[in-house]
Amino acid sequence: MATQNFDVVVVGAGPGGYVCAIRSAQMGLKTAIIEREYMGGVCLNVGCIPSKALITAGHFLHKMEHNASDMGLTLPGKVKVDMKQMQTWKKSVCDRMAGGVEQLLKGNTVTIIRGEASFKSTTELTVKSKTGTESVTAKNFVIATGSRPIEIPGFSFDEKNVLSSTGGLALDERLESAVVIGGGYIGLEIGSMLSNFGTKVTVVEANKGLLVGLADAECVQVVARKLKKNGVDVMLEAKAKGWKKAGKGVEVTVEVGGKEQVLKADKVLVTVGRRPNSDQANIKGVGIAVDEKGFVKVNAQRRTYVPHIFAIGDIACQPMLAHKASHEGVMVAEIIAGKNRAYEVKTVPSVIFVDPEIAAAGMTEEEAKAAGYTDLKIGKFPFAANGRAVSLMETDGFVKIIADAKTHIVLGVHIVGPEASNLISEAALAVEMGARLEDLALTIHPHPTLGETMMEAAEATLGHAIHIIQKPLGGAKAGAGPRAHV
Amino acid sequence: MATKNVQLPELGEGVTEGELVKWLVKVGDKISPDQPVAEMMTDKATVEVPSPIAGVVKEIQKKEGDVVEVGAVMLVVETDGASASTGATNGATNGAAAKPAAPAAAQPAAMTASPAAATTQAAKAPAAAASGAAADFYPPVTDSRVLATPATRRLARETGVDLNQVRGTGLAGRVTREDVMGANGAGAVAAGQPSFGGGMAALQTPSIPRPAYQGPAGAAEERVALRGIRKKIAENMQMAKHVVPHFTLMDEANVTALVSMREELRAVGEKTGVKITYLPFVMKALIATIREFPMFNASIDDAAQEIVYKKYFNLGFAADTPNGLLVPVIKNADQKTIIQLSREINDLAKRARDGKLALDEMKGATITVTNIGSVGGQYATPIINHPEVAIFGMYKIQEKPVIKRDAAGNMSLDSIRTMGFTVTADHRLIDGAVAANFLKAFIGRIENPGVLMLDMM
Repeated sequence: MATQNFDVVVVGAGPGGYVCAIRSAQMGLKTAIIEREYMGGVCLNVGCIPSKALITAGHFLHKMEHNASDMGLTLPGKVKVDMKQMQTWKKSVCDRMAGGVEQLLKGNTVTIIRGEASFKSTTELTVKSKTGTESVTAKNFVIATGSRPIEIPGFSFDEKNVLSSTGGLALDERLESAVVIGGGYIGLEIGSMLSNFGTKVTVVEANKGLLVGLADAECVQVVARKLKKNGVDVMLEAKAKGWKKAGKGVEVTVEVGGKEQVLKADKVLVTVGRRPNSDQANIKGVGIAVDEKGFVKVNAQRRTYVPHIFAIGDIACQPMLAHKASHEGVMVAEIIAGKNRAYEVKTVPSVIFVDPEIAAAGMTEEEAKAAGYTDLKIGKFPFAANGRAVSLMETDGFVKIIADAKTHIVLGVHIVGPEASNLISEAALAVEMGARLEDLALTIHPHPTLGETMMEAAEATLGHAIHIIQKPLGGAKAGAGPRAHV
Repeated sequence: MATKNVQLPELGEGVTEGELVKWLVKVGDKISPDQPVAEMMTDKATVEVPSPIAGVVKEIQKKEGDVVEVGAVMLVVETDGASASTGATNGATNGAAAKPAAPAAAQPAAMTASPAAATTQAAKAPAAAASGAAADFYPPVTDSRVLATPATRRLARETGVDLNQVRGTGLAGRVTREDVMGANGAGAVAAGQPSFGGGMAALQTPSIPRPAYQGPAGAAEERVALRGIRKKIAENMQMAKHVVPHFTLMDEANVTALVSMREELRAVGEKTGVKITYLPFVMKALIATIREFPMFNASIDDAAQEIVYKKYFNLGFAADTPNGLLVPVIKNADQKTIIQLSREINDLAKRARDGKLALDEMKGATITVTNIGSVGGQYATPIINHPEVAIFGMYKIQEKPVIKRDAAGNMSLDSIRTMGFTVTADHRLIDGAVAANFLKAFIGRIENPGVLMLDMM
């Protein structure tokens, strides 16, 4: 059995792992990356990227069906949906991205080892692949093995009748109906996408609301309204009890208010969250501690209890987001290279590709209060008052800013509306920089763009947006009004 | 039998490493808990490192002269006990030392799943693997409430500035790039001065240049790392001279009466085994004078732009030691008798020379006295021990001739004992005339030591 030795071995080539490997190679460290399945991990292959491809297609179809005729674009008939071609296109998107990752790794002289890694000791990994078993030793290891969908009792994934997110993104035929268990972001993203393709979707959620704890409640309201308008049924405080095969489809038993109900559908999709893969790769066996939720215990440098072994991404801690993993990947590579680094960001922006999109950076109102900001300034600006949004025919939603009333420092920004995902980066920068409302309001934003809503929301928070009616401005004491603080 | 690693523990606030001066144990020695195993010299003091556990020294991992980071493994000790249970304990011990974000308490459960494997790993893994705390990092994570841009946070981390301790000078307390550069170095000095740490760190001082020195080719020169106490002295002095506009006032006192009083008391002291020097008398006269002139017992909080008057009297005194200058502190010196002060001075001075002072015995002085005169020199212009605002100097006693005039106006020659005194003050707070009045008031007291009794507690 051959043994290869490295400075750094990264286990898992997802958005945490591959980024970490590239940076450690850039830092001059002899680096290897081990991947058992896909280059780019869940994100590029069965997560973020394919779901966005399909969501874009669904959105496009929705616009063709609902907006085109108003714009004077009449279609000769109903748009034909070819799910097989859609999957081919989706795969081409994923393959292109994954291929890019592989090229980048090779271009940076990272050794790629394909196979399933398992810790033999704190200094050695065994990698099993089709071609045999090899041993890999290293001075440092980075565990970036991610997470997988959670299964709930009675709903084992068979990816035929009971689908995980992976199966939900691989459908090559249109469904008449689907039950989605879990009203979190994955369930609602895939559920809305299916709905756009004409599938009758029923969302079963155990909580009192959708996206609980994941997004600002007011933003969620806008999405809930749109779901209803698009014909998606939402059952709240409902518990999925089990399912059985019925004809070509399934019958799902759901308990609501103590009563059982049976929902018929073609398939059932279970999207109740993801769990860290810490039960794999013999992580616990070599003394790496794992907490009760399955996250590998790490400090702010993402070091485990074994100091030369690091853990990043979904396996290390919440939030389970690709961009957080990438940030950690760069950080850990630099720590290994001897730089002083720690995870000390103010915010991990989040984006939810529902309709309309939700995105957030910084704190919610509740979080700000819990953090000791007693006096807040909160302002909103609606997309309905933005010219670009009107011309896009996407006027649902708003930008909401939460600031410290004393200093006007921006604490949080919550957007629901068109391109919220692309707008949030400005907010993330504002939060990280400790920008004040005036900094956003006094920066000229180009017209006509959706980005103007950020400037207007800052003005609205200060009490004097131009494109919505806010009065009185400054009141009787002219000059003592909010402008005076500028 | 099982083995455990003994790591270099925390040596004090802001201390991240130390130089191993001397091993106090050798391989094969049986050690008990709290037994000192090594002497470490940090940038603040020389300290003894105790063992947390009992056992037999199996392996010594560091050499004398090595610079050891806090948390690094120093010794491997063989302990009693069945390996099954120690496997878990061992893992937990390492885990606890690593101080990760999550508390270590929950770890043993995971570890007991395969105690044997855990034991082997902990024992077999090289120093780095077991020394959890070596993984600890400084500065700590910046609180999300601290207003600093990502680039400023990065600068602070790379230059070792703890942003949580820096008071930003920018709008709404924003920590600027300049604040971080000013805090770099100054922050370390201010560490251990809790009330003023923030103030110092926020000082907008430009970074001090660090010019290289290149001697002539082939010159007989030796290079030694500027490290430990010497490095700290260098930083402190440079910072004090950088921040504080110094001035020194000198005068001479007739200490004839003091000399005879001290001679009398010395005899008394000898009976009880206490050596009585001039220093406690000077301290008593100084405290009585400071009560009249509170600005000498103060600090300037530069960040807040405030003067802090201290209602307590902690007297530092300069002690020359083989390792360099140390300043032990007598806490609440105003509440102690001459005999108590003498005892404490003797004890602190001895332990300073032996490198046995605890870090907190050198912290928190409100004013410092230097007794360089006991070594030599007519006068000196000492450097203030920032963030104090004054340093008081006492110099050698000399016998001098003076002209005396009696009531009839007849002159005669007399012999008196004189002692030189200096007060060096921070001109930002103390003006020349104030210092002159201060010195005059002090001399009035020291020339009439009997009067001192009136002020004594």
